[in-house]
Amino acid sequence: MSDEQLDKSKILLVEDEENLALGLEYNLTAEGYKVSLAKDGREAIKYFDENEFDLIVLDIMLPYFNGFEIAKHVREKHPQMPILMLTARTQVEDRVKGLELGADDYLTKPFHLKELLLRIKGMLKRKKWYQKVVIENPIYKFGNSEINFENLKCLKGKKEFQLTSYEAMIMKYLIENKDKVVTRKELLENVWNMNPEVETRTVDNFIVRLRKHFEDDPSNPKYIVSVRSAGYMFQV
Amino acid sequence: MLRRRHSFAYNLVIFILAQLVWLAVLLLWIYWYVKNNIIFEQVGENISPQIVYDAPSVFPFVGGIVLLTGLSVSLVLIFRHLNIQIKLNALYDNFIANVTHELKSPLSSIQLYLETLNSRDVPDEKKKEFYILMMRDAERLKNLVNSILEIASMDKKKFNRDFEVYKADETIKKIVLESAEQFQLKESVIRFSGDAGCDILLDRNSIKTVFDNLVDNSIKYSVSALEITIKFKRNTKKVEIEFSDNGIGIPHDEIKKIFQKFHRIYDKDIPNVKGTGLGLYVVREIIKNHKGKVLASSEGKGKGTKFKIELPIYVEKKRSLKGNKKDFKNE
Repeated sequence: MSDEQLDKSKILLVEDEENLALGLEYNLTAEGYKVSLAKDGREAIKYFDENEFDLIVLDIMLPYFNGFEIAKHVREKHPQMPILMLTARTQVEDRVKGLELGADDYLTKPFHLKELLLRIKGMLKRKKWYQKVVIENPIYKFGNSEINFENLKCLKGKKEFQLTSYEAMIMKYLIENKDKVVTRKELLENVWNMNPEVETRTVDNFIVRLRKHFEDDPSNPKYIVSVRSAGYMFQV
Repeated sequence: MLRRRHSFAYNLVIFILAQLVWLAVLLLWIYWYVKNNIIFEQVGENISPQIVYDAPSVFPFVGGIVLLTGLSVSLVLIFRHLNIQIKLNALYDNFIANVTHELKSPLSSIQLYLETLNSRDVPDEKKKEFYILMMRDAERLKNLVNSILEIASMDKKKFNRDFEVYKADETIKKIVLESAEQFQLKESVIRFSGDAGCDILLDRNSIKTVFDNLVDNSIKYSVSALEITIKFKRNTKKVEIEFSDNGIGIPHDEIKKIFQKFHRIYDKDIPNVKGTGLGLYVVREIIKNHKGKVLASSEGKGKGTKFKIELPIYVEKKRSLKGNKKDFKNE
């Protein structure tokens, strides 16, 4: 996929620190993206409801609605929307909360411009890849579970639940590589499009959540198994 | 957060257990006394009236109860103190989180602009814009660091002030306009009225901090077009400076707390969530150090806020008493 296709992607930038917002807007525009800037939670939700976006860059501490609330709102309407959270908070709880509410990625301030741009590009690329593979085969069944990769709705027995976009992408990737060992590095590079030295724990966190979703006994996984000192493997 | 809640519950359980133990000891004590007393009375009556005289006196009984009560009261005191400490810790944690945020935001902005300038071909015009934004961020960092240092010296009661005599209205007007300029407010936003026509002794830098904080709060906590009014009034011994805005005001139950260290008001309708909870604490300490008073009032939410600052008027003889040399400043 060429980068040109990503060029016209529409990004909703939600940041209330004016100086930072202006700098980000300048850079994203220079990259060829179309940027809409929301200065508080209310504006963010209004813009999101009224327009189509390809990605959201979201601050957490915001007036009116905070980033977590916005992420929740976005997820309800658009489960596949990639969300990059940007925040000064570094506590693990915040990180976990952000990821649970459906942020796909998390960048702490102060961040490097290059890293931010790379992650955004990676997220957009992933989204396009995912959209392409999903059209071919939207529903996958295994055990007593069923995943609809289009609207991210899942069934396990009679329990219905929703995946976040990254959870779905990881599942898709694992399923596509069924019975093969997938390393954390591979997942980071292919799903997150990220430098694998950065965060291998992110992967583990997602795997834990996927097991909670699909395994009968998450501490004794049957489908998403760990391969000692190598990575993970999906098997049926 | 979780750990804190746990420790509070833990303390509460310990406290209740201790109280139960205390109650049990008290009951045992009373039981023991009553039982012995009855035996003595019965035995005494049977054998000899002289023994009754030797029966346990009331003194150790009452003494024991007093001691036990003392123990219980000290337990309550310790528990209360612990609770205050836990609350303070929570406030402090919150403060650290806020300061982290306040430090990181301008820092990330500066870093972003530097990296942008370094990696892109930015047109000259934009470059200038970026420099101005970076300078503003650096200023913000400087103010934050200063106010933290200020707090540290206030807590140690170490004031290093530079007091000089100024003309009250002229100087305050100038200081307020400087603050307004720093926050990019138009001059028309601020209106002055009244007349003080007297001299005051003040440390210009710290009074500037006072008005920086007040103006900053007015900006943060206003939703419509901001209006700030400053009224001067002269009493016999004091000059009154009334700083009022048309912001969202303060709910009645919060008025007393706003000058507390680290205290911040959380309200869904308040558009700005940023701050350290130090601003008004610093204001009060500085005014106190000027031997003045500051009071806040608000008609309620949505009806603006009023700060009344009282500073003592400077009179000539004080100077000769203190032997200050002539340092009259005219601005």
